[in-house]
Amino acid sequence: MGRQVAITSAGFSEHASKRSDVSMPELVNEAIEDCLTKVPSVELDDIDAFVNGNMPAFEGSNLPELWMTDWMGARNKPLMRITTGGTTGGSVAIGGYYTVTAELPGIDTVLAVAFEQQSQGDTSVGLASVAYGEISILNSLGISYGQLNRLLSGGAAIGVAAYQATNYMSKSKITEEDLARVVVQNRRNAAKTWWAHLKMPDLTIEDVLDTPYIQYPLRYGMVCPASDGAVAMLFTTEEKAKDMCDIPVYVNGVASVANETAVLGYDGSGSAQVDPSAQIGAMKSAELAYSQAGISFPRKEIDYAEVYAPFPNQELMWDEKLGLFEETTAPEMYETGVTARDGELPVNCSGGVNSTNAIGASAMERPAVAALQIMGKASNQVPKTVHTSIGSGWGGSLNFITLMVMSDEPKRKWK
Amino acid sequence: MSKQTQRKSMKYEKKEYKKTRTMEANWYLSSYNYKFNITHMQPFLKKMKQKKLIGNKCSGCNRVFYPPRLVCGECLVKPDRWVDIRETARVATYVIAYLKNEEGEVEERPLVLVQHDGCDTTSIAELAPGVDVKDTYIGLPVRAHWKDEPEGGLEDIEYYDLMEDDAEDLQ
Ligand SMILES: [Zn+2]
Repeated sequence: MGRQVAITSAGFSEHASKRSDVSMPELVNEAIEDCLTKVPSVELDDIDAFVNGNMPAFEGSNLPELWMTDWMGARNKPLMRITTGGTTGGSVAIGGYYTVTAELPGIDTVLAVAFEQQSQGDTSVGLASVAYGEISILNSLGISYGQLNRLLSGGAAIGVAAYQATNYMSKSKITEEDLARVVVQNRRNAAKTWWAHLKMPDLTIEDVLDTPYIQYPLRYGMVCPASDGAVAMLFTTEEKAKDMCDIPVYVNGVASVANETAVLGYDGSGSAQVDPSAQIGAMKSAELAYSQAGISFPRKEIDYAEVYAPFPNQELMWDEKLGLFEETTAPEMYETGVTARDGELPVNCSGGVNSTNAIGASAMERPAVAALQIMGKASNQVPKTVHTSIGSGWGGSLNFITLMVMSDEPKRKWK
Repeated sequence: MSKQTQRKSMKYEKKEYKKTRTMEANWYLSSYNYKFNITHMQPFLKKMKQKKLIGNKCSGCNRVFYPPRLVCGECLVKPDRWVDIRETARVATYVIAYLKNEEGEVEERPLVLVQHDGCDTTSIAELAPGVDVKDTYIGLPVRAHWKDEPEGGLEDIEYYDLMEDDAEDLQ
């Protein structure tokens, strides 16, 4: 095993649908500045390597990590880009962890940066280019483009997530009201987070249910926005972390798991994920990360969770699949306030992806917020003391899951 | 119906950002040469032309793929046996889409993925025109409706008919 890794800081840029006041490098710089001001003893010279990630296809500008080198302070330093679709941010954070834990000579402190300025390009074109291979194969086998268009007519990720929502809703026997309740909790939490995008302090369940359907069962009021934004995280060794901040956050488990794609199978074949809400990949990643961290009872041992969920049904589903609640009980937890800021197990106090979604950054904002909650420096800080927290990510056609488990004490040594 | 087409946005706290210079440019993504293997599809498509359904079965995990798959991702072997798939299927999952028809009116239409009896995968499908969205549910039994003259392609199953409810008179 590699050495123990700690997170000492995390920073955000302001998120909005159009950050027309800054260019992409300036946006990234905002997040780095916020990250480094929280650790005054760290200078740019102290950072040994960089990990960087976004989805270039969404903005239409290639190799951004090369031309924004100077804006990150990465000149003449090791720099690596990771791009894995929706889980990009989660993979970047895990990349930062790996770089430190690998004990490479001279590399102790690593800055991980994830960002997306979606207003620059056309996200739907970017997403279409991802699915283009599958779609053209199905077309060559005789399915018309018209039918394929209808199949994914919700557009982008909603096209696949809506199928998942129907499955989850019929399994756990919930109504749209239960979905709206999740949205209300998220958007109200977002109103208290300085960097969040959709801040709706007075949102009610009725307001959400009053919006039209995009694709049943998802309504306009329930889906995530498209944001511009960036996030930065500082990873370092256990020894150096103690000098940098009062409460270092130790990374005790990471996992990145890929399962089979749902809805669209490989090369025109059927998909064996018959039930897109079964999420065997998510359960596998939870198993991996929790066993690394020595967590046997996630429901009891985890104090705070940031779950990557652009749509409310996914938040409920992944709460269960990541072991926070028993199967089909998550909606009840939202109703009784267990997941609220002052509840027993607060979930997504930053407002989550449902309120702020800068695609490349989103999956890293989850572990970033979860780490800040342990440090006590989060924007919408929970009143109780957080010892252990998790941050998850989702991507692909409902099949990629990343997970990071963090704690205020280093990994227990198992012999 | 008008409520469904109306795009109503919810109020949120907005901040105005001043604009910097913007340059317009294009990024062309129009042409692809995507390579893929369809040798495993040939027997399947030949059978489709005779209005027959087959799938291939992995000898490692016994899963049956319809339409056939080149490699089983779980066992990393090529499914090597052909097996019969029934014409009957069940709706595995569905959504309701709000699409404009030729007259420009918004129509509610169920979009479904079906799982044929005898296979372990879902495939893209359309329900017969005129099926009421309210009748759609997960587990709804359906039957493939063939084209009059199949050509050996996935479009040979034009759509899926609802099956007769044998228990209807007992309700
Ligand atoms: Zn197999």
